[in-house]
Amino acid sequence: MAGTVCYLKLNRNVEVMEDSVFLKDVGSVYCADKLVTAKVKSMKLHHFEKGQGSRCVISVLKITEMIEELCPQVTVQSVGEADVVAEWVQVSGHKKAKEFWKILLVSVISFFGTAFTIMAYHNDIGIVNVFSQIHRIVMGTEPTGISVLEVSYSIGLSLGIIVFFNHVGKRRITTDPTPIEVEMRKYEADVNTTLVDTADREGRTIDVG
Amino acid sequence: MWGSIFLAVFGTSFGLLAAAGVFTVLVAVGIVPRFAGKTHTAGHVLLYEDMVIWGTVVGCIVSIFERYFHIGTRLFRMGVPFSVVQVGGNFVTGIIGLFSGMFIGCLALAIAEMLDSIPIFTRRIGFRHGLGIAICAMAAGKLAGSLMYFYLCLHEVVK
Repeated sequence: MAGTVCYLKLNRNVEVMEDSVFLKDVGSVYCADKLVTAKVKSMKLHHFEKGQGSRCVISVLKITEMIEELCPQVTVQSVGEADVVAEWVQVSGHKKAKEFWKILLVSVISFFGTAFTIMAYHNDIGIVNVFSQIHRIVMGTEPTGISVLEVSYSIGLSLGIIVFFNHVGKRRITTDPTPIEVEMRKYEADVNTTLVDTADREGRTIDVG
Repeated sequence: MWGSIFLAVFGTSFGLLAAAGVFTVLVAVGIVPRFAGKTHTAGHVLLYEDMVIWGTVVGCIVSIFERYFHIGTRLFRMGVPFSVVQVGGNFVTGIIGLFSGMFIGCLALAIAEMLDSIPIFTRRIGFRHGLGIAICAMAAGKLAGSLMYFYLCLHEVVK
């Protein structure tokens, strides 16, 4: 049995529903010995107390120490992150309704905000003047009312946005993630790095020693 | 005929590139992901993107075909009483103003933050506590500045 290797892959960020964090919540474990795997997976890492913050940062070293205490004969090999951020998400009764209002708020802000932005942009560049200038250059006459230019500009703008954002409703044009999805992941990674670094600096990381 | 075709081609390409330009800024600033992150609704990013798309399309159409969108005048001509039009109009403009103000406020600070001006400042002057107060002061400054701009008609000066 001696020298059994237990491979441990920690995630970067996890959310738990219960007030205890188990190893199976924060990453995946592989060990040739099924018994060890099962024992390690159900190991409790941290217990959240009410009113003591709902977030903790656990170092892989601490987990290694705990595993080796539990099963002295295994060697732990970490192949994932060095720290994991675990967040306790308290499920409340009105979560659905609250989430609905949040989604509505963000949607409404995005809608009016971007409408305002594009109008401000049009104002900024004086688009009416630009259009009438082009109309004069090309047609040689003053524009009377709406011309082809305005219509085609609007169509072009919509096409540009759809190509840029890569989807119409739920249907994607290519299988790539959309720019906002990419930006979302980047933002999450930044937040996570900040959480780990802050916990480290303040000495709140659950670590050995 | 050829003129119209040229105008159509010109307009379409102008629109395509304007969209790319405006949206690169919006996405690079990363304001929508931040909203989604703050509200823990990252699963609905596609919906938010749809709203961004529709917002832009509607804003574009309203500002370019402005003369067809004088809804208040139209309702008034259709026989809706003036007071009703006024109250409803104030309500609608209030909503539009509130939400677009929130968006622009976030955008303004996000752009300032892209240059890391706040972290650099706090580090240089050894500023440790009261960052919250500083942020509130910035918000109050924006509010005062915005009200002053409209009250003193500073936009007239620019013209």
